[in-house]
Amino acid sequence: MPATMQGFNLEDIAHGIDEYAIYQPLGVFCCIAPFNFPFMVPLWFLPFAIATGNTFIVKPSPRTPMSQCELFEMLDEVGLPPGVVNMVHGGAEIANGLMEHPDIKGVTFVGSTPVGRHVYKKCGETGKRVIAQAGAKNFIVIMPDAEIDKAMVSLMSSFFGNSGQRCLSGANLLVVGDDRRYREVVDKFVEAAKAIRVGDGLDESVQMGPVQNVESKKRIMGMIEKGIEEGAKLRLDGRKLNLVGDVPEDCFLNPSVFEDVTLEMTIAREEIFGPVASILRAGDLDEAIEMIHEVPYGNAASIFTNNGKWARQFQHDVVAGNIGINVGIVAPMAFFPFGGMKDSFFGVLHGQGRDVVRFFTESKIVIQRWF
Amino acid sequence: MKLNTMAAVMTFITKVEEDSAGFYERCAERFPELRETFLSWSKENRRFEKTVRRTYYGVITDTIESNFSFEGLDTEKYEFDTELPQDADSSVIKKKAEEIERKIKEFYLKAAELSEGLLADIPRVLRKIAKKREERDLSL
Repeated sequence: MPATMQGFNLEDIAHGIDEYAIYQPLGVFCCIAPFNFPFMVPLWFLPFAIATGNTFIVKPSPRTPMSQCELFEMLDEVGLPPGVVNMVHGGAEIANGLMEHPDIKGVTFVGSTPVGRHVYKKCGETGKRVIAQAGAKNFIVIMPDAEIDKAMVSLMSSFFGNSGQRCLSGANLLVVGDDRRYREVVDKFVEAAKAIRVGDGLDESVQMGPVQNVESKKRIMGMIEKGIEEGAKLRLDGRKLNLVGDVPEDCFLNPSVFEDVTLEMTIAREEIFGPVASILRAGDLDEAIEMIHEVPYGNAASIFTNNGKWARQFQHDVVAGNIGINVGIVAPMAFFPFGGMKDSFFGVLHGQGRDVVRFFTESKIVIQRWF
Repeated sequence: MKLNTMAAVMTFITKVEEDSAGFYERCAERFPELRETFLSWSKENRRFEKTVRRTYYGVITDTIESNFSFEGLDTEKYEFDTELPQDADSSVIKKKAEEIERKIKEFYLKAAELSEGLLADIPRVLRKIAKKREERDLSL
């Protein structure tokens, strides 16, 4: 932290005059947290905020508040001065209250794109800084030379880890190659998805747990229906449950895989936030990149290839905040900034790393001379 | 038993390291002339378990990264017996220790091979422990 908060100086910018920049905290910040990573997401911000000298308010998702309650009990034991970290519970009314409060200098938000857009607008009106990390529709491109067997573990993890309920999940699998290659990739992907063990996440043999609640399941099933109506071929129907152990079925879905998906279809363009994969085709890398850009989101995109030229072109050309090369989940470590582009992000500075230190501090310039 | 997740692999590692540590502790009591060696191995086994656990917690979670790597890892191939017969002499013990070390080494190598898709720290630490096992096996 001290290194990332350091200012800079220049002696003698004019005769006998020195100038330097220092970074200072602004005051009170808050986090409006999502349901899917209720423990982790506030920790993208809270440690940076208080380490730079601010105070911080966390509003956990009303759907998953318990882990933050545990965290705050631990923070109580740390012995921070009263008021340095604070927690408030509630839904949209409380979130709006935080965004309107005159003493709050900035808001961090992680959630859907419509709400992210609202947060950005509202914070603009009330003059607050904002980091709003929003929805996603991430593409994973499989090039003809990709080592598909080695890639499969990453693909399963990307599409179905956390039951697909995360902003870095793979959503659209874009296969580049001839018919034979397409068939090979689709068949292997479907077989691997079919083998995933779904059930109680506390059972060590289980690989995928439930979706967050009954409404989520209904919404995801609605998207599957939509995919069928619009002409995609449902190769693996996760609505047909095959669960490990004796668990209530209410919130469970097995993995679903659509093939022959086109960009016009809703399932290729809209965030599903569940264990549903859409497989599309492209003739070459240029076409694949164009297809990625057709979708309004830009959180993450990955390419699987052994060709350095293709990888470099992908890294350079694709408009997304996080690029993976033979990596399925492009989650930056804490010392790198994390944020998307296009409709996946609203703001200027990203979360984590140096960006978030700048977010939580204001630069002040000092110019001095001595008579 | 077939292992699917890193959590299940971790549970199995805890079991084999604890079982083999207990075996060496009993050997240390039975053969005072090899007491120091056996006790150091026992201590080292528990340290191996801690090293893997620390790496597991440090770099990955089951939710995100490690649920899909271990298909085909069947524990039956790597189970071993730690019974110490009353009349066993040092040659029997040596043979048993060799078998334990070989099976644990093979388990770590297979787990390392299957976990190549995870962050590199996991296969690296598994291979490192397998190498230590190999060194131990050669010293027997």
